[in-house]
Amino acid sequence: MGKNILSFIQSVIFNRKFQIGVVIILFLLPTLFAAREACKDLNEFSSPRQESVCTYLIEEKPVTSALLLSFTQMFILIILASNWNLMGGFTGYIDFGHAVFFGLGAFGTALLMGSSRWEEWPAIISDWSFWPAMIGGGVVAAIFAILIGSATLRLKGPYFSIAMLGTLVAVREIVRLSTNYSGGGLGLSLPVYLNRPLFYYLSLIILLIVVNFIKWLRATEFGATLVAIREDEIGAEMRGINTTLHKITAFTVAAFITGAVGGMWAYQNTFIDTDIAFQQTRTIDMVMMSMLGGLGTVSGPVLGSIVLYWLRDIVWANFLLYHQIFEGVLLIIIVLYVPNGIMGLFKKENDGTTLRDITKNWFKQSSKENKPNGGQKE
Amino acid sequence: MDFSDLLIQTLINGILIGGLYAVMMLGFSVIWGVMGVINLAHGDFLMVGAYMTWVLNKTYGWEPFVALIVILPLMFLIGYITQYTLINRILEKPHLVALLVTYGLGIAIASTVKVIYTANPRITITKFSGYLEFGEVVLPVTKSLVLVAALIMMVGLYIFLQKTRFGKSMRAAAQSKEAARMVGIDINRVYAITFGICIALTGAAGMLISPIGAINPFMGTAWTLKAFAITAMSGLGNIPGALLGGMVLGIVENLLATFVPNIGSGIGIITSYILLVFVLVTKPQGLFGGLKPPQDVS
Repeated sequence: MGKNILSFIQSVIFNRKFQIGVVIILFLLPTLFAAREACKDLNEFSSPRQESVCTYLIEEKPVTSALLLSFTQMFILIILASNWNLMGGFTGYIDFGHAVFFGLGAFGTALLMGSSRWEEWPAIISDWSFWPAMIGGGVVAAIFAILIGSATLRLKGPYFSIAMLGTLVAVREIVRLSTNYSGGGLGLSLPVYLNRPLFYYLSLIILLIVVNFIKWLRATEFGATLVAIREDEIGAEMRGINTTLHKITAFTVAAFITGAVGGMWAYQNTFIDTDIAFQQTRTIDMVMMSMLGGLGTVSGPVLGSIVLYWLRDIVWANFLLYHQIFEGVLLIIIVLYVPNGIMGLFKKENDGTTLRDITKNWFKQSSKENKPNGGQKE
Repeated sequence: MDFSDLLIQTLINGILIGGLYAVMMLGFSVIWGVMGVINLAHGDFLMVGAYMTWVLNKTYGWEPFVALIVILPLMFLIGYITQYTLINRILEKPHLVALLVTYGLGIAIASTVKVIYTANPRITITKFSGYLEFGEVVLPVTKSLVLVAALIMMVGLYIFLQKTRFGKSMRAAAQSKEAARMVGIDINRVYAITFGICIALTGAAGMLISPIGAINPFMGTAWTLKAFAITAMSGLGNIPGALLGGMVLGIVENLLATFVPNIGSGIGIITSYILLVFVLVTKPQGLFGGLKPPQDVS
């Protein structure tokens, strides 16, 4: 019975027509919002039908500004989780500090848009318009990824994870200390531009591009190489693969997209400071969402983000005070009891892309722990 | 104050804080050494100890050092229960699982404390304050007491590990789980008591932190990172090494804070981060050797 429901859900979710339909609905959603805004301006209605439609839109509130914001946040989280999955899932380098690129992108964009509080800030890199500034934020994050990655990507396993966690904490402190650039505790204010549909469409388009890009990447030789590094890094090296170059490239691509999204988020938020830009919970979000969906799969982070986002929305709405406790406990529960994620429930047999396989292969177990199925109780 | 006095003062400050660092990371490195678990919730247990001290100090006016008689048994119990309910499930699993589970545990602990006591920084008041003056150089009384307490704790742990029967079984379990089982050591009990002792020690170190600085629910991550950095320098469960590593970190931190202009206390975490990455990149086995998991992780 349970299997039937699962396979039905699977057949619906992975149906191409269903996916395209969802995307079309998502694209049409803001028109209802725009129609509602237009209705508010009308004083008298030209026809009874228009009046009934407008009454419905205004009184029933099918699409509000808050709903668009919710969706935008969800799209951003999906993009971040998919990016994190590029390193954490495909390459097998679990990154506990990925939010550092988000924060750097946000600060880079803010500074390029001329929100510096410093008098002597050079004019040539300020007052940029939003689009080049967003790309600039991504570039800042990517350059930092190349610098930091060439050191930390030499570390293996838990060492990499903790070094990246350290990167996040250290960079946050450095940014906080360099008051000239970051505004210190005051933070930076960006030019105010309230346009929900714009950010909605922008994040939706980036989301579609990123997910399809990662899907394409997974199918190319480059993606296969990343998986080979995850499975057996020394073996891959012996085959003549330049593993360091591949790792740094994947790391930089992920950092670039994360940084650009951070820039977009900063512009949408209109105010940033070190604590909200380098929020540690953002990393946890990425890790949890990828894990809940299924580590190392293309659709896993997308599904995981959607499920977790709405689940958390319910928690926030009802138990705001306890939401972080909930996150910590949920992470433990996911890791212990649903290690393969939602995609693992769908899969008939493991093909080396689920968490259990990754962990089994990635951390070479010493012989004493070498039990079938990784020492887990079934 | 001329340069040599300033230098001596900086070194003294570094050594005083170094003792605290050393005792603070011992719990982390012993758990790693005996059970092979990298405990990312370490800093949060430390924070719990500090908050217990603060609560006792605030409500009953207890001296921080007296609070130990409550903290040690209570933290032992917390550690014991955590081991049986949570850590036991992840022992046989890969390190990644342990990392994620302890990370989640750390967030849960920190947020629970935040919900109960809000995120405001708290300060514990002690009667042992003030300074002893030696010419131009001053010796803060509280920090000196903290160093003495840290040294006593370390000597206690050292004697416990080297001389007692239980300490020997802990070391045996660290060397080889199978062999320890064969000679009749109840490995689960050893693990649970080890975890309990280490958490109790961590809580005691938290007590040492509370009188010399402000505490808040989210200070844990920074301390975990410092513990990791010193572990990378000193190796696992190596008490003299821990003392040396703690002193190095404390002195480097204080030298930077004193002689590089325009940086405040935030430099500590950056120093330990740079030390950590530098040691791990150049010497993956740790500065004096003896880090465990990297051999397993190829």
